[in-house]
Amino acid sequence: MNAEMVPLQIIGLKADLPRILRLLRRVGCVQIDDVADSPEISARPLALEREATRRQEALTFLVARIDSLLELLGSGSPLPVDTDNTDYAAAAEEGVEELASRVQELVAQRDALEAELASLPRYESTLRKLLPLIPDSAHQPGNTTVGVLASQSALAALDFVARRVLELTAGRAEVIASDVDGATRAMLVVFPAEFAGEIENILSQEDVARLRLPAQLGSGPPDLALTKIQRRMRAIPGELEQVTQSLAGLAEEWCDRLATWRAALREEIETNRVVSNLGETDMTFVLLGWVPAVDFARVERTLATDIGDTVFVEALPLTPALQKRAPIILHNPRPAQPFQSLVGLLTLPRYGHIDPTQLMALFMPIFFGMMLGDIGYGTLLLLLSLLLTRRFRKGVAHDVVIVLRMGAAWAIVFGFLYGEMFGTLGEHVGLHPLWFDRAAAQNISGLLIMTLAVGAAHVGLGLILGVWEAIRERSRSHLLQRGGMLLGLVSLLVIVAVAVDLLPDPFMTPAVAGAILGIVFLGASLGWLGLLMGPIEFIGLVGNVLSYLRIAAIGLASVYLAKVANDMVGMTGNVLVGIIIATLVHALNLVLGAFSPTIHSLRLHYVEFFRKFYEGGGRPFRPFKSELFGPRPSSLMPDEPERRGPVKEASWRVGSGLT
Amino acid sequence: MESGIGIDLTAIGAGLAIGLAAIGTGLAQARIGAAGAGVIAEKPEALGTIILLVAIPETMVILGFAVAAMVLLLGG
Repeated sequence: MNAEMVPLQIIGLKADLPRILRLLRRVGCVQIDDVADSPEISARPLALEREATRRQEALTFLVARIDSLLELLGSGSPLPVDTDNTDYAAAAEEGVEELASRVQELVAQRDALEAELASLPRYESTLRKLLPLIPDSAHQPGNTTVGVLASQSALAALDFVARRVLELTAGRAEVIASDVDGATRAMLVVFPAEFAGEIENILSQEDVARLRLPAQLGSGPPDLALTKIQRRMRAIPGELEQVTQSLAGLAEEWCDRLATWRAALREEIETNRVVSNLGETDMTFVLLGWVPAVDFARVERTLATDIGDTVFVEALPLTPALQKRAPIILHNPRPAQPFQSLVGLLTLPRYGHIDPTQLMALFMPIFFGMMLGDIGYGTLLLLLSLLLTRRFRKGVAHDVVIVLRMGAAWAIVFGFLYGEMFGTLGEHVGLHPLWFDRAAAQNISGLLIMTLAVGAAHVGLGLILGVWEAIRERSRSHLLQRGGMLLGLVSLLVIVAVAVDLLPDPFMTPAVAGAILGIVFLGASLGWLGLLMGPIEFIGLVGNVLSYLRIAAIGLASVYLAKVANDMVGMTGNVLVGIIIATLVHALNLVLGAFSPTIHSLRLHYVEFFRKFYEGGGRPFRPFKSELFGPRPSSLMPDEPERRGPVKEASWRVGSGLT
Repeated sequence: MESGIGIDLTAIGAGLAIGLAAIGTGLAQARIGAAGAGVIAEKPEALGTIILLVAIPETMVILGFAVAAMVLLLGG
């Protein structure tokens, strides 16, 4: 069921607006709607002045800078806030300015070191290939050494370079070449330094690759460069560690502070955004919002106490137009709460319409249990879900684990009813079905009929709810459609009952008449198109009921897979190998047994059940509240994240144009 | 001998009923699933709708199962 909501109008002086918004944020149970979307309010939308807009942009930019710093340093947790009059924007601006250059410098240093560490081994391997070529002249002062690499297909270029160098230096240069590998030939050219420029020109004109080392390695012969590279490779990890430690130190010092600033700035941005949703006259503002009925008195009392009689709080009548826009809070008994996430996965119910959470909480675990129906698998899944509850303490994952636990419990119950433990293994320990053995050939018809009966009952319940909704909404077309389907379904069941001699023959005529009447009603709800679509929709309804056969189909697939696993122990010829294979097949069956029944139970609800009555499209209740400051908001809302300690309200500014 | 052939043909008929329906469901789900994965990447809140859309063609294979069961139970 969904919690009762009250449309709320607050009118006050613009001068009080910052205080009122601060109070509303602290109370944390009022959703503020945009007056531009509310025809009930005639005031013009409140426009932020240029200064406030500029500040909003500056805050957004500042948050983006903090985001990028936190991305580089790691995440932090907002700290408790204990000052009332802190200008977070100024403090954040100053802090970010101070920190950004240091972080950028360290990150650039780290990137450069990492790039160097990645590239030096490549130079090292090339230089090692050149080592055998180094002549003594390379170490004589005044000589320069150049390494050249060329592919084996461009050896003519190397010869040309060698000839030109020797001509240019009149034989004072020394040229040595050797194959580095099958594809590359290396050449070392040692020449007096005065020819460096001209030789560079020669090399640049030919199709050869000059071996260029990083500047810090100098231009000495390859053996000296290699020594420097090895020294550098030994030094870099230490330097990298030093930079990483500096960054870690900065992270420890700043991350929580940055996270606090970011949270505070986001709150100010959100507050300014909310202000633009209000309406205004010359002196007053008007706010339209929603509050849970249980919290209305608290809001009224808080504003009256802190602001006085210059603020006017009024609960508006819930007109049909307002009801269509009402936000929704799903509020169900604790055992049904995990199913709220599953309902929300599809779409939230509209305000004032049926919330199917409790029905889902009743049927879904039963369907799961009917499909899996095995004491062994059920027990394993129950234990697994108990373990997973510790791992997932909140959110959709937690809810799914709880649903799995309930389904596993029902699987154990149906396991006793079907007499199954790891398929047919239970028979060997004297387990007998309390109801019937679903895998036995003579019982399969009964199993199919049982699932069809469950389907007819579930779909029928959906249609009854649909008819009730149609009556409440005074919707003639819905009443004809759902009523026609319900009449047709009941008539069809009677026809089947007469056909199998469960009911006497005289029931046949009224049942056929009822089915025809149902199809006519169904067609009438669709207008002229109904002549064609009515019978098709009715066939679709029969398909919906047949869809519940999946309960039997998935169950049988699980039983037979388990039976195959058990039979394998005797078929392999080696008991140990058989047990290993059987265990693996059972493990596969267990995984399938966790997923398939969940997905198919969900599908039966979403497609077959909900479609008969469910009015989705509700919007979630999003109260204007503080994530960083203030007490827990509405008692109907989910638990807040844990706080580190008591916190006080911090100051903020709406913008200069409001007072 | 005749009854043996009859049982064989019944089994083949049941297999075809569920097998062809499964192929049809698979083809439909492949297309819907691929498109659905793209939608979820862009809009994670659409997960429920996508599960629903992917699940719709399964009715075909369930009907195939129903036909196969009828062929085996009533015809065999």
